[in-house]
Amino acid sequence: MAKILAIAEHKNGKLTDGTLELCKAAKAIASALGAEPAAAVLGKDDSVAKEVAKYIPLVFSVTNAALEKYTSDGYVQGVKAVVESQDVKGVLISHSYDGVDYAAKVAMAINAGIVSNCNKARIDGGAVIFTRNTYNGKIQEEKKVNTDKFVATFEKGAYDMEPAGSPGTVTAVSASIGAIRTTVKGIIETMAGAVDISQAKIIVSGGRGCKDADKYKEFIVSLAKKLGGEYGASRPVVDSGWTDAARQVGQSGKTVNPDLYIAVGISGAIQHVAGMKGAKCIVAINKDPEAPIFNIATYGIVGDLFEVIPAMLASL
Amino acid sequence: MKIAVCLKQVPDMESKFKIVDGKKIDESQIAFKINDFDNYAVEAALQLKEKLGGEVVIVTCGPDRASKDIRQAFAMGADWGIHVNDPAVESGDNFVVASVLQKAIETIGGVDLVLTGVQAEDDQAAVTGVMLADLMGLPHCTNVKKLEINGNNLTVNRELEGGFNEVIEMSAPAVLSIQSGINEPRYPTLPGIMKAKKKRLDVKKGADLGVSPKSKTDFIKMFFPVSEHKAEIIQGDPATAAAKLIEKLKTEAKVI
Ligand SMILES: Cc1cc2nc3c(=O)[nH]c(=O)nc-3n(C[C@H](O)[C@H](O)[C@H](O)COP(=O)(O)OP(=O)(O)OC[C@H]3O[C@@H](n4cnc5c(N)ncnc54)[C@H](O)[C@@H]3O)c2cc1C
Ligand SMILES: Nc1ncnc2c1ncn2[C@@H]1O[C@H](COP(=O)(O)O)[C@@H](O)[C@H]1O
Repeated sequence: MAKILAIAEHKNGKLTDGTLELCKAAKAIASALGAEPAAAVLGKDDSVAKEVAKYIPLVFSVTNAALEKYTSDGYVQGVKAVVESQDVKGVLISHSYDGVDYAAKVAMAINAGIVSNCNKARIDGGAVIFTRNTYNGKIQEEKKVNTDKFVATFEKGAYDMEPAGSPGTVTAVSASIGAIRTTVKGIIETMAGAVDISQAKIIVSGGRGCKDADKYKEFIVSLAKKLGGEYGASRPVVDSGWTDAARQVGQSGKTVNPDLYIAVGISGAIQHVAGMKGAKCIVAINKDPEAPIFNIATYGIVGDLFEVIPAMLASL
Repeated sequence: MKIAVCLKQVPDMESKFKIVDGKKIDESQIAFKINDFDNYAVEAALQLKEKLGGEVVIVTCGPDRASKDIRQAFAMGADWGIHVNDPAVESGDNFVVASVLQKAIETIGGVDLVLTGVQAEDDQAAVTGVMLADLMGLPHCTNVKKLEINGNNLTVNRELEGGFNEVIEMSAPAVLSIQSGINEPRYPTLPGIMKAKKKRLDVKKGADLGVSPKSKTDFIKMFFPVSEHKAEIIQGDPATAAAKLIEKLKTEAKVI
């Protein structure tokens, strides 16, 4: 039977949450298509493959010393070996840093169309129709491939995490791993800082809408202080040096779960939302009524932050 | 060092978007600009040129309006450019664009480094650079946050989730997708803007490059997201809205 193949992502022997989401996605898409869900796990041995088998009945394991660490060349060769030895219809990959680094190359290697950064899939007339965000989340689009096989990457949270069940089977697939043209020298931490905003109960975050470093301090930092909370930032604020990297919230920054998160002049890009959607109460202050941040906020004020923030300070 | 930078012109995301027939954006109300990530790629290329000499070539697929932003990169200091202006390419998917970029870069000859942005702000695909590397048969690295070159040896930092970087070594020629924050993109100077007007910009069709690739994906439709959840929008002038909000945070949400 044709297979829908989720590619596991793991770091230091630990599966990412995204992998369990892909297991769920593979099951949903396979059952709607009349196909079989499966996973491929690449690694130096099959210990992670056995772990993945708790979440999906059929696991293909490619083991090779060269696959101990993630590299794009290694992963493309490993996935290609599984696709070529099995009847694979679709390959699912996380739209994570690693996923983005190799998914398009897998598509090229197996001559498939790729739809990336998807948040949903449905079946229509035997074809998988993918939904994805475009224009910074302001518009969604539907796409499908016109090739025999497909590759799709899914954004984090697109599916719930598959719960563990009774273990399935692990089948070894042999692959000769040839040239790997990148060498991993190590991992470094780049956002270490004196402050840890992840424990704060109240966070006021400012975005590009704050205009410059002085205004960020005058409006965002003051409101945070008045509320007895911490101040945070979206990525462009950190990129521009208005505050330090340890205060960045999002996919490439901190994940926070405060009681109150006030997003000021932040559009609500998926990479920002990934780091704060767990907040109990979210307030959005933005002059653009169509900013995606309003789709996840509890309360919103459509207005100019330079008028709204002073008014909030005055009411406190 | 010869560096090609792939630059896409995209809408300013604060523009007012209107969808025509579920198929395309009404461009009449849209302001266009350089894709933010590509701006960092242009700056990275200019810094390498300043250090090592050589030239920076801008390569763009896009309609007439895109020439404004190619010239913007010229004004920052890029030397010359190739503008593939072809409706057939314009309507193609990322694979079509990557195939055309590959051919265009081939015509430059002797390119040591190809820089792209991490993703285009409009299609948010993050695939074009990786496809291009594959088509060129070159190694690549995505989400590059730091870049050092010593002869042919590249040391790059690849950004990872949650504030970590992976340090990677590889050799040029290579394709790197540049992440925001790697540098501080410069603003064009007045003399730069004057010079930009005279710089060489080759305009080509796909056929001039000998390619007519076919999309591997089909676009079906576009629509505004329908969220099951919408924020409760607090109405009124700033003072009224702010006072109501504070009241709700105290008594309804009980978070302050
Ligand atoms: C791999 C990757 C990782 C990323 N990681 C992160 C991350 O960890 N964290 C993160 O934040 N981003 C991250 N990003 C970037 C993300 O895609 C967005 O570009 C970013 O979140 C946008 O920040 P912003 O909302 O501040 O700016 P913009 O999107 O430019 O939004 C600014 C907002 O301010 C509003 N505004 C302007 N002026 C005013 C005013 N006077 N009053 C009120 N509102 C105003 C505008 O309407 C607009 O909505 C990442 C991107 C990539 C590709
Ligand atoms: N039409 C284009 N012209 C030139 N470069 C492009 C084009 N489309 C994409 N790119 C490059 O590829 C990167 C990733 O785009 P995407 O894969 O569309 O998200 C962009 O940051 C650009 O550097």
